[in-house]
This record gives sequence, C-alpha cells and structure tokens, in this order.
Amino acid sequence: MSDTRDRRDEIQQFVERTEGKVYPRRVFMGMAAAIGLAPVAARLTPAMADAKELVIVNWGGDAVKGMQRSWVDPYLKKYPDRKAVIDGTGPSTSRIRMMVDSKKVAWDVMDRNLHTALEIGPEGMLEPIDYSIVNKSKVRPEHAVEWGIGNYIYAMVLTYNTKKWGGMVPQNWADVWDVKKFPGKRAFRREPDGQLEAALMADGVPYDKIYPIDMKRALDGLKKIKEHSIFYTVIADGQNAFRNGEVHLGLLLNTRAWPLKQDTKGLYDWTWNQGISWGACWMVPKGATGGRAIWDFINVALEPEGQAELLKTNGYGPINPEATKLLDAEWNKVNPGAPENYAKMLPGGIAWYAKNATKARQDLIDALAG
Amino acid sequence: MLSANRQEASRHGAYWLIVLPALLMLALLYFVPLGNVLLTSVTDPKPGLQNYGLLFTSTSVQKALVTTVRIAAITTFFALLLGYVVAYAMRAASTRTQRFMLVGVLLPFWISVLVRSFAWIALLGTQGPLNSALVAWGLVDEPVALVRNETGVLIGMVHIMVPYAVLTLYANMRGIDVGLVAAARSLGASRFQAFRMVFLPLTVPGLIGAGTLVFILSLGFYVTPALLGGGKVLMIAEYVAVQINDTLRWGLGTMLAATLMIAVLGCLWALSRVIDVKRLFGA
Repeated sequence: MSDTRDRRDEIQQFVERTEGKVYPRRVFMGMAAAIGLAPVAARLTPAMADAKELVIVNWGGDAVKGMQRSWVDPYLKKYPDRKAVIDGTGPSTSRIRMMVDSKKVAWDVMDRNLHTALEIGPEGMLEPIDYSIVNKSKVRPEHAVEWGIGNYIYAMVLTYNTKKWGGMVPQNWADVWDVKKFPGKRAFRREPDGQLEAALMADGVPYDKIYPIDMKRALDGLKKIKEHSIFYTVIADGQNAFRNGEVHLGLLLNTRAWPLKQDTKGLYDWTWNQGISWGACWMVPKGATGGRAIWDFINVALEPEGQAELLKTNGYGPINPEATKLLDAEWNKVNPGAPENYAKMLPGGIAWYAKNATKARQDLIDALAG
Repeated sequence: MLSANRQEASRHGAYWLIVLPALLMLALLYFVPLGNVLLTSVTDPKPGLQNYGLLFTSTSVQKALVTTVRIAAITTFFALLLGYVVAYAMRAASTRTQRFMLVGVLLPFWISVLVRSFAWIALLGTQGPLNSALVAWGLVDEPVALVRNETGVLIGMVHIMVPYAVLTLYANMRGIDVGLVAAARSLGASRFQAFRMVFLPLTVPGLIGAGTLVFILSLGFYVTPALLGGGKVLMIAEYVAVQINDTLRWGLGTMLAATLMIAVLGCLWALSRVIDVKRLFGA
C-alpha cells in the first residue's frame, strides 16, 4: 500500500519523532536518509550505535501498535537477546530507491505489496527472500514470490450506504456503474490497482479474463462514471468522504470499510463479492544488514496466532490460512483471508502490475484529469 | 588615497567574512540540491534533453501544464478582483477600522492550507451547511457540486490568494495621493470617472505586481488541488509528486520542476522590466 506523502509532512514527522527522544542510530539514519539529509547529519544525534537491531518499516498509525503486539513482541519472546524496532514512516518506492542508491541501508524488513516487490526486485532494489529459512508453506502459493513473501491480505471492496436506496443495496460493480438504479456520488482511489478491475467487472468481464488488462476498455469504463465520482489520493480522505455522507458507494480497503461500519453503526457496509484481494508482503532492501534475524522475524510473523491477532486489532486479513481456524465465525466475517470470503474475490494480478504499474498509473491519472 | 582604498577594500573583506557562513549554508542547503534537481533532469534515465522534449510531445504533460496555467490565471483574476475591493475599502476606512480589516486579512495566514482545504470540504460538501440550506430553502433540488471538482479548487485557491493580493494592492494604494481624486471631482468628474481616469491608472503597477505574485504562487499549488479537486484536477506540482513518489520517473519530475522554476523566474524578470519590484514589495 503506498501513500503519496508531502515532503513537508515527512519533515514534520521527522521533527516530531526525534524531538526530545533518543533514537536508535539506525532508525535515525533511516529517517535522515529518507528525507534526503546527508549521513553526516546523523552523526549529530545523541542516539547510540546499534547494528544488531532489526528495523521493520511500515506505514505508521495503528499499524505500529498492532504489528508490535502481534509480531514484534512474539519475535522478541522467542529470541530474548535480540532487538527490533518499528519505524512507521512508510517504505515508499522513492525512499527505498534513495536509500539503496546511497548505499546507506538502514531498513531491514519493509511492509509493502507483492506486485511492488515483483516490480522493483528485478531493478536491483531488493534482496531475494531466502526460502531456505523462510517457510513458504505457511501461505498460499500465489503469496510467495522471489522478491517478497505475503504478510497479510487486504482487499478492495464494494462499500455502500445501506439506507440510501430504500433497502436495496448494490451487489456488484455493474450496480455501482448503474447511476439510475443507484443515484449518488461514488468514490474510487486514484490508483490503477482495483479500479481497473472494477471497471472491467462492471463491463461484464469474468474473473479469468481480467488479466492481461485491456487498458482502453477499463479506462473507458472509468471515464463513464467519472462525473459521478471522486477519486481520493489519501486513503483516510476516502474513508472520510463516506463517513461524512459525501459519497454513497464505491471502492474502499476492507481495513477502512470495517471501522467505517462500526463508526456509523452499520449505515455503511461492504460485500466481499467482486472484491479484489491483494497480498501485502515483506520485502527486504538490497544491502540490508539484518542478516539471519530478518528471516527469523518473517517466520515468526507468519505464525497463525499473531496473524489472527492482527485481524482483531487492525482488520488485516491473515495470509496464513491456518489462522482462520483460530477465529470464530463473527471474526471470520470480517476476514478477507477466510476461505469463503477469499473465494468470492478476484486475486489481484501481481504479475501484470509488476510489468505495467507505472504506465497504468500514468494512463489512469491522465484519463481522470480534465 | 591608496591607503583609503585599501581600507575600504579590507572593510568590504570583513563584511564578506561576516556574510560568508550564511552564503556557504545557502550554497550547501539550497543550491546543491537545486543543482542536483537540474542535473537529474538531463541525466535520468539517460543523458540528454529527451525529458525536455516531452514538453512538446507528451499530451499528458501538456494537459497538466495547460490546466495549471488556466487555474492559476482564473485564480489570479478573482483574487485581484476581490483583493482590489478589500484594499480599496481599507484605503478609505478610518485608521481603527483599517487595523481590524488588516487582522481579518492576515488571520487566514495562520491556518494551514491543509486545514483550510478540509474546512471547505466540510462547508461546501453535499451534506455541508451551504448545500443543506440551499436544498431546505428550495433553491435547488439536488446539492450543488462545489468541491471535489475544478470549482472547488478555484474556491480554495482564491481564498488562499486574496490576502496576498490585498496586501500588495494596499501597499500600492497607500502611496496614492487622495487629493488627486478630490481634484478630479472638483473639476467636474463624476465619482466613477474620477475612479476610472485617475485612481485606477495609478493602481496599475499594484495590479501588475499583485497579479504576478498571485500567479506565481498559484502555479505551485499542491495540497489544495489534491484534496479539493477530487482526483480529477491535476496541476503540475502534483504531477511532479506522482513522478517522484510513484512512477519513479525522476527525470520527468525534475524536468517539470525545473520548467516551473524557469517559468517563475521568467515571470519575475518580465515584472522587473515593467515596474520597480523593490518598491512594490516595500523594500
């Protein structure tokens, strides 16, 4: 999952995160490198040098607390003499590239997605996953690739207002494209992954014919609905647009649809039908210094107990199907990794995106603009 | 004579020494990264001017540029119009009222652009107070789309830009002798004639200055179009951000950043040919 973040926000966050606190040297170096400060500046820090600490990078917010509880704490329990820390500043591709190019790799494990791993791995930005240590049998085959191994499942789901149309609710993307049957504002993300698939499904393309994506057909579909839609760039903004009644149906991440349903006491709900499921994944920057600890941590994070726990705290779907057995029926209703839900969705085409993401993104942005 | 010159020179030398640390810091923290941006624009992905060639061949780039210039121009027009009225009223008001008005103009400066954008979404959204009122009074059947489109971007940008226009115009108007208008009136000009033939021409330098300033600032907007445009209004700053963060076409991103910078410098140069920039901004 990638967020476009303003440079000023990064600096702001950087200031907040360092003010009055002692930071482990490698975390500090990572933050400094990420905002483009020379490594010499890092020498000014009061932080202690600690090469043995594992640095896990995710997207911040509740994910820091959640991953700490479900994955880092069990890892430290299993290996009491080791150290690990979560850096929530976001492993965006530009920051990975900057870090790898400058050969000052402060990060060890990064929370991204499989198609990005397949895209930037061959470009020399990642270390291949060491499957002699990492146990790939814990995940579905489509979630273990050379450059990344799944860590949780997220899905892009059709989310809708339950009261707007007198008891009738949209069942599939064709309904979302039907502005007569379901009048109201739509919301989509201004990213190709998910929106292109939704447009094709609305046009009647079956799951097995979605990939390779017919860009013209998909973009024509989106143009058709453009006047009735907003395209959010910040995921939280999309969630907000639903919550304050600005939009009535559209595409949202399951991790956002779930709190939305709770916040609005069921005014909004979602369906797994025609959802698009994606594997978030661990990937390792080229030149990472964590060594064996990286693979040990990944193995711990794949254990079903922690996987199930993270669904309860953050809505992240367990990528290890075994975790489903640890969850009761109520929890499995919100679990994108539960077999009955997973089967209803289209697995996102990571191989297609690995090759076409850049062009698809630009074409989508151009099609929506003006 | 000679020693006086030497003294003079050594005094200058001492001044330079005092300024040197600041200059070094500026060079290190400003010009080096800037040079890096310019360098990237001609070296990534391979050396040459092909990134700049995209200005002439890529419809995607051209569309973003045209959108940017169009929105900046419309924003400038409305900011000048509203700013002129406010500055004129301030000029005519009593000192006490002037002070209140100045606070009113400056207050929005202290609120972040991000907060203001979200506030517009809340105020002008389909469920916002304005639309609720319009629907309740029966003026419209369906809520009017005032945000998440180009209209929203313009409202947000004009709001941010009006203070810049007011302050620049006000500085200019303060330098005009009101006696001139009174003289025109006493010679038989109507109110409107006195304004159009005497006051307005005297404020032209202010209008040009404020217009250039607002236009230049509008070219670089990022947060406001990203939030209020509903993903459908792509201005050049966001286009650059997408290239740097997402598509990783850094050559294209830096080329557009460089183009924007050259355009801004060009605007300032053109401005300096027409009016005395230093005097305009009160230096």
